[in-house]
Order: sequence, then C-alpha cells, then structure tokens
Amino acid sequence: MSTVPLLELQHLSGGYEPVQIFRDVDLVIAHGTSTGLFGPNGHGKTTLLRTVSGVIDPWSGNILFEGKQLNRPGERGRRRSRNLNYDVFTRRRMNPKNVARAGLIHVAQGNLLYRELTVRETLGIAPIAARGRGEPGDLTEKALRLFPRLSERMNQKVRFLSGGERQMLSVACGLIAAPRLLILDEPTLGLSPKLRRELADAIQAIKADGVPLIIVDQDVDFLKSLIETLYLFDHGRISGRIERADMPSHEEIMRMLFGEVHS
Amino acid sequence: MTFETFLFVLAGGLVLGALYALMATGLAVVWTTLGIFNFAHGAFITFGAYLAWQVSQTEAGNAGYFAGAAAAVAGLFITGVIFHLALVRPFERKPNVVLLSVITTLAGATILENAIDLVWGPRSKQLAPMVPGDATFFGVTTSKNQILMIVLVLIILAAVGAFLRYSATGRAMRAVAQNREAAELMGLDVPKLYAGAFGLSAAIAGLAGLFVGSIHFMTPSMGTDPLMKALLVVIFGGVARFTSPIYAAFVVGLVEAFSTYYVGLYWTPAVLFGLMIVVLIVKPEGLFGKYERSV
Ligand SMILES: Nc1ncnc2c1ncn2[C@@H]1O[C@H](COP(=O)(O)OP(=O)(O)OP(=O)(O)O)[C@@H](O)[C@H]1O
Ligand SMILES: [Mg+2]
Repeated sequence: MSTVPLLELQHLSGGYEPVQIFRDVDLVIAHGTSTGLFGPNGHGKTTLLRTVSGVIDPWSGNILFEGKQLNRPGERGRRRSRNLNYDVFTRRRMNPKNVARAGLIHVAQGNLLYRELTVRETLGIAPIAARGRGEPGDLTEKALRLFPRLSERMNQKVRFLSGGERQMLSVACGLIAAPRLLILDEPTLGLSPKLRRELADAIQAIKADGVPLIIVDQDVDFLKSLIETLYLFDHGRISGRIERADMPSHEEIMRMLFGEVHS
Repeated sequence: MTFETFLFVLAGGLVLGALYALMATGLAVVWTTLGIFNFAHGAFITFGAYLAWQVSQTEAGNAGYFAGAAAAVAGLFITGVIFHLALVRPFERKPNVVLLSVITTLAGATILENAIDLVWGPRSKQLAPMVPGDATFFGVTTSKNQILMIVLVLIILAAVGAFLRYSATGRAMRAVAQNREAAELMGLDVPKLYAGAFGLSAAIAGLAGLFVGSIHFMTPSMGTDPLMKALLVVIFGGVARFTSPIYAAFVVGLVEAFSTYYVGLYWTPAVLFGLMIVVLIVKPEGLFGKYERSV
C-alpha cells in the first residue's frame, strides 16, 4: 500500500472575506478510514468543509487529495483597495467541479437541492461527477435500494419533499457520485428520531461498502458507531484527536469541550 | 367591425404574438438561469437579422434562407458567449450583479448597435419573405410568409422547451439556476452552463431577428422595440414555467393588434404598459404564476 494519505490538509486557513473563520488546520486521513468532526455550533466546521470542496477559496495552506494538490498554492491575494474589482484580478484558487470529479464528494449541510426539479431529474444529475473516472456502472439502483422511500416519490418535485426525504435524496446523490471520500455535514440535522435511525442505518451501509467518510454530527454516540478517528473542533482550530478505542461518551466529550458547567 | 376585419386583426395579433414569444423566451432563458436581465437582447435580434441578410441576400452572399438562419444562429451563439464573458462574468460574485449587469449589457447593446451601423450603414434593408405569395383563409388574406413564420416559431419553441426539459444539458442548466452551489458540488461545470445559456438565448434572438427582418424593415436600432416588448412579456407573464412567457406573448400580441385597430397606433404602447401595471398590482408574480426561476 502506498503511504500517500487519502486527504491531507496542511496549515489550512480560510473564512469569509474579510473574516477569518478557521486557521492552521492540519489533518491527515488515511485510506479506508472514516473521520468525525465534532464541535460547537458556529465554530467553522461547515466553513472548513466548504473550503475543502472548493465552494470558497482557502486563504493559505494546501489541500491534497490522494497526493494531488487541489488548490493553486500560495497566499490569497490581499485586497489593497475597496474600490477595485478583485474578482477580475484574482483567479479562483479552487474549482469545485474538479474536486467533485476527483471523487471528493461533499453533501452540504441543510442542502435544499433543486426546488423545481423532480427526484428523478435530481438523481439523473448525480452521476456526472463519477463519469469519466472509469467508475463501475450506475449506482442509482443501489441508492434507491438504500432509500426505498425515494423510489415512491420519483416524479415529485424536490420542493414537495419532507425535510427527511430531501436529506435522503442529498445523501443518495452523494452515493451515486461514486465517492472516493464522502463528506456528510450534519446529515441527521433536524430529523425525527425514526428518520434519524433510518438515515443512520443507510450511512452505516455506505460505510460498510468501503466508502470512507468525513462526518459532522452533534451526537457523539452516533459518530462513534461510524468512525475510526474523531477530531474536536473548537474556535476554528482542531483542539483534539481521539482514536476509536478511547472514545469517550457524549457527556465526557461535552465536559472536555465546555468544562463542568454545561454537563 | 365585420367578421373579416376581426379575423384580419386576429391574424396580425398572432403574428406579433409568435414574434414576441420567441424574443421573450430567449430573454427568459438568461433570466431563469443566471438571474439577470440581458438588455443586449434587442441588439442580438438586430445582429441576427443583419447576419442573415449578409449571408442570404447580398451580391456577395446569396446562399439562401437556410444558410442565413445558420449564420444567425452560429454567429449569435458566439456573440452571446462573448457578451457573457466580457459583461457579466466579471461581476458574477458581486452581490449587486443584477444592477451591474443592467448597465453593462446596456452598454454592450449600444456598442453592438453602433458597430452594426458602422458596418452596414443606417439605410434600412429588408429580408425577402421566406416564401412569396399570399394565402386566403375564411376570406382573410395573409402572406404565406407570416403563416410559415408562426409555424416555425412554434417548432423552435417546442425544440427549445424539449431541450431544457429532457436533455442532460438542459436539465443541468435548470439545476444551476436553482442552486448554484449544490450544482457545483455535484460536479457540474457552472461557468460553461452559464455561457451556454447565454449563447442559447442569443441564438434564439438571432432567429427572431431573421423573422423580424422578413416582416419589417431592418435598421441598426430595430432591436429597441423588441427588447421593450420582450421585457414586458417576461415581467407580465412571469417565468414560472417555460410556457408562461409564451402565453403572455400571445396575450400581448393580440392586445397590441386590437388596440392598434381601435385605439390607434400611438396609444398602443400606453395601453400595453397600463395593462401590465394593472396586472402587476393585482398579481405581482406575473399573469401566469410565480415570479421565480424554475425552468
Ligand atoms: N456565507 C457566509 N458569509 C459570512 N459568514 C458566514 C457565512 N456562513 C457562515 N458564516 C459565519 O461563519 C461562522 C462559522 O459558521 P459554520 O457554518 O462554518 O459553523 P459550523 O461549525 O458548521 O456550525 P453548525 O454546527 O451550526 O453547523 C459563523 O460565525 C457564521 O456566522
Ligand atoms: Mg455546520
């Protein structure tokens, strides 16, 4: 086996101009392992993942996927004037299309997908990232077996789906893209316990199929069942790394992050 | 008003409606995909007419209507892509892109019109009718050219609609329109789809120019009125569905025809815009539903 990691972040910093959200994030994900990201609301987990998948440009640092650098290296261009259109002078340093087509698939938090497209049409778009990468066959049927509810709603427009169904469609699209690494950003957010379990089982099945995951969730016990390594994320930095063997319970983690008061 | 007159005015309204439907559909393709209004759409119509004229009706170019149409479509597709790259793309990430693109596309329209004036001169020209002669139905005589035009417009609209609805590229264009970020994360090539939508819209404008040129005289500023009407149709009808501006175009065309007959030519624009204001007061989303980008 090669020693090149699946994903490597080196001193990655970024945010929403002009506010920096995370800094100096170093992260190494080995082939075949799944990773959890856990931290309080609003501390920049989503921003970090959006940077990794190229929706926003990193400020500095490197993103390497299977040894290939995804970002154009260097510091971000500093804006020296508010009155100049820097979008014209600075080239984008990430291209989300290339990231997705390399097999790094990001299922975004609270993804609303395409309101006016039907479920069938949405599922028809999903294989685009996998095409041209010599991936085996169409995974749509497999995804539908995992989410049988979707096959009952094929001709519905996405805006008529329930929140849970839309979340399932999002994850199904991620699966159909034949990911080499699948990022799931709070996939169970706002779901009823029953739907949550349904989705968790499906994610479990995706993992069992050999797809490495990066998964963000607020429930450590749920994460524990899926991942090998857990990173604690706090104020835009990685503040801790825990291996599966000594993974604490939800309460213990809350104590580690917040001290006793929050219990 | 006799029944013949009624049919005569009705026929005129249908011709106008077909033209407006083609113009408005082109405008709506850009509006629904990129979320901006392209004020160079009228100049695109002009440029299409002149390109078709150059290829099909001059001493130098005598290649026939079909070649003229091909030149208009290909030339305008390229023009549309260039306009997108130069006038819209640089502002894409600005929060006020809608406002900025109003003025940049207006600037582009002016430059294109002046270029047309420079190359072909201000003297008006006309494309010969696609087919000569008249046809009579129920005692009303119209030119075969106009009947053929209506049929062709309907075929073109059906083709564009089918492209957006059933083809993979059309589906991707609709997806990008509704959620750019989700589309990027799924690996769609957003810049290419935007440029493609702009090119498609311009190509449709080129065909509209070809038809306008075979009915009216061509001048470098012939696109101004079509642009106005296309805007009116799109805002009046809404763009909830691909078909909304098409229905609205026929409503506007018929109102215009009857108003021209009854109220007079000079007051017709006032009648149309008055009607639009009334509709928008009652139904701000447009006559045919939601003022939202869907198709
Ligand atoms: N589009 C945006 N523009 C500017 N600031 C933003 C934007 N999106 C998020 N932020 C800010 O970035 C910070 C980090 O947000 P982010 O969504 O990355 O946190 P998170 O850790 O994913 O939180 P949660 O657990 O609630 O999903 C927040 O303070 C938020 O206000
Ligand atoms: Mg988040």
